[in-house]
Amino acid sequence: MRRWFAVLSMLPLFVAGCGDRSLILTVDVLSFLDPADVSQAYGPIPGGVSGVTVDVASEEVSLLQGIEDVTEVSSAKLEIGASFDNTTGTADASFAIYITSGDSADAFSAPPITVIPVTLTPGAITIVSTEVSSDALAQALVQDKAKIGLRITFDTTASGVIPVQGTETITLLRAVVITKKDL
Amino acid sequence: MLMVRMGWLVLVAALAGLLPGEAGAQMLNARRLGMGGVATSDNGASRSANIAFRAVPKGEGYGSIPLPLGLIQFAGDTPEFDPDDPDFNIFEILDLVSNPPLTLSLSKPDEVSGDISIFVAQDSLLVDLDDVRRVIPEEAMKNGGVYHLFGVGVGIKNFFAQVQPIVHVRNEFDLDSRLRAALRDAEPFVSDTRYGLTDDGVAQAAVAFQAGIALRAFHRPAPGGEEEVAEGEKSGDGDGDPPDPRAEDPRRNRSTSLYLGAAPKYLFGLAYGQVGGVGGITTGDTLFGSGDPVAFDMVARTRYAAVGEAGGMGHGYGSDIGAVFFWNNFELGIGVNDFGSVIAWDTTEKQHVYSDSLNEFVTTVQAVDEDFTSRIPPTTTVNVAKRMGPTTVAADIVDNERYTGIHMGAETWLGMFALRGGAYRDSNGRWQVTGGTGVRFGGVGLDLAVATHRRNVEESVATELSASLTLY
Repeated sequence: MRRWFAVLSMLPLFVAGCGDRSLILTVDVLSFLDPADVSQAYGPIPGGVSGVTVDVASEEVSLLQGIEDVTEVSSAKLEIGASFDNTTGTADASFAIYITSGDSADAFSAPPITVIPVTLTPGAITIVSTEVSSDALAQALVQDKAKIGLRITFDTTASGVIPVQGTETITLLRAVVITKKDL
Repeated sequence: MLMVRMGWLVLVAALAGLLPGEAGAQMLNARRLGMGGVATSDNGASRSANIAFRAVPKGEGYGSIPLPLGLIQFAGDTPEFDPDDPDFNIFEILDLVSNPPLTLSLSKPDEVSGDISIFVAQDSLLVDLDDVRRVIPEEAMKNGGVYHLFGVGVGIKNFFAQVQPIVHVRNEFDLDSRLRAALRDAEPFVSDTRYGLTDDGVAQAAVAFQAGIALRAFHRPAPGGEEEVAEGEKSGDGDGDPPDPRAEDPRRNRSTSLYLGAAPKYLFGLAYGQVGGVGGITTGDTLFGSGDPVAFDMVARTRYAAVGEAGGMGHGYGSDIGAVFFWNNFELGIGVNDFGSVIAWDTTEKQHVYSDSLNEFVTTVQAVDEDFTSRIPPTTTVNVAKRMGPTTVAADIVDNERYTGIHMGAETWLGMFALRGGAYRDSNGRWQVTGGTGVRFGGVGLDLAVATHRRNVEESVATELSASLTLY
């Protein structure tokens, strides 16, 4: 994707020309995920266990090269939306989102951007909607490549013998990085 | 910091002064600007428009001394030149170059500002330049002109000789409709589409060694007495008053006169450069896929020669010619500068092609010491004027390589005060309105003019006040 740089590297220059202005980079992270990963079934996970991990997605994405070189990150946030249509069982789940630079060993090699606790109950749809700020997110998304990973960890201790299963759907993963000139 | 500001000031002033021949550029002669910038034989700045004007007796208001009021404004409101400063705005600097602070700015476009937003998805890219869209031109960006810089010369009666540097610059940069829409209208980039741009530019510099003649070729006094002014004032009548200069002025004495001028010139070519390039990107099936689906293409051809470099100096010839005819206080002038002006060079031609596989440009020499003749495009000025007592109405058409400009205006004197108005069609084909006034104290007058213009990167309407002294 380096060639986008040739076209878009002028944008920070425009920012530089506009006084104390910003370049707002919005990345629809969800669009980079394989559609099969966006919505997928989990389970059946036996009840009474903890630390069951399901890697929902792990992908490398290409972004805009050059942004990192000419801008200075001012702030970054990640808007997250997901739903868990849990059919059976009860669990305390942790929905972890990993976004790291492309040169990382893998998407899960760095600490997650955020970990969202989710309580799953039988026959209920749990909606997750939140927004987090993260410097690590910004540093990853201003580079030309980034790795994205989604991981859910289940604790089914409270479910007894009833297995936990259902379907998770990622509805929103949007990063907004605000940069200032750094020329 | 003061030195930095002064340095910029000098640079800007130098740029302004170096480009006096550009029609549609800033005009510091307030009398002329008040009349729409029209060229006539008696507003000194038009000498560059018609060489025959040299032979016409000085009329009223033959000399102008600009009063750069804008420098005071500039000193009090200097833009930020430090790129690290939050207030730095490159568009403000560009405006300063395109519109040097020699006239007083009465109004100007809102400062280009605003955040830039980029939206990225796997198969979508949208760039919203917000306020910066205003500087993305709707049409091709054309700039340049033929600039006759300050010359040094001597004149003896009808003959004159001078040495004058000439610079010709022309550049045309254009975006194709898709790229323009993406940047100016924030339309999303889409897959399997080429976004292209072109650039075509020429720059050449030469020194002209010129000798010429300007003379009155025909003269017939007005029937029933040549002068409109009192006959007794023609050459002095012994009453102690000096002779009225209007008696010899063909603009006002109803005589029929024809003045001609011609000045061939030898052109010593200093440097020539030409570039023509086409480039673009073509998106693939997916804008931000795992691979590299953007194909980058660019081809540029360059041709150059310069003193001290390959090809060396150029040699050429050209001429300035003109004629101005007066009849019954009516003036008709036709002047052509750089008529037939060409320079022969030994040029080196190269082609630069971007290699997609190597990710670099591959340059091949197409020709060395190839004969090439460049042309300095002529500028033709046709002007008309009619003097009726204290009133003058005038118009001109200026045609050059880039555009055809039109100027028209009128002036009338009410005692020692003058009122002026006019309009002109600028280099972008837009009409601008001017007006002004003046007061005369014997041989010196003070003139003020207010005019609209669009000499800014936003190409938006601005107004300026120009002031100058006029020598009568």
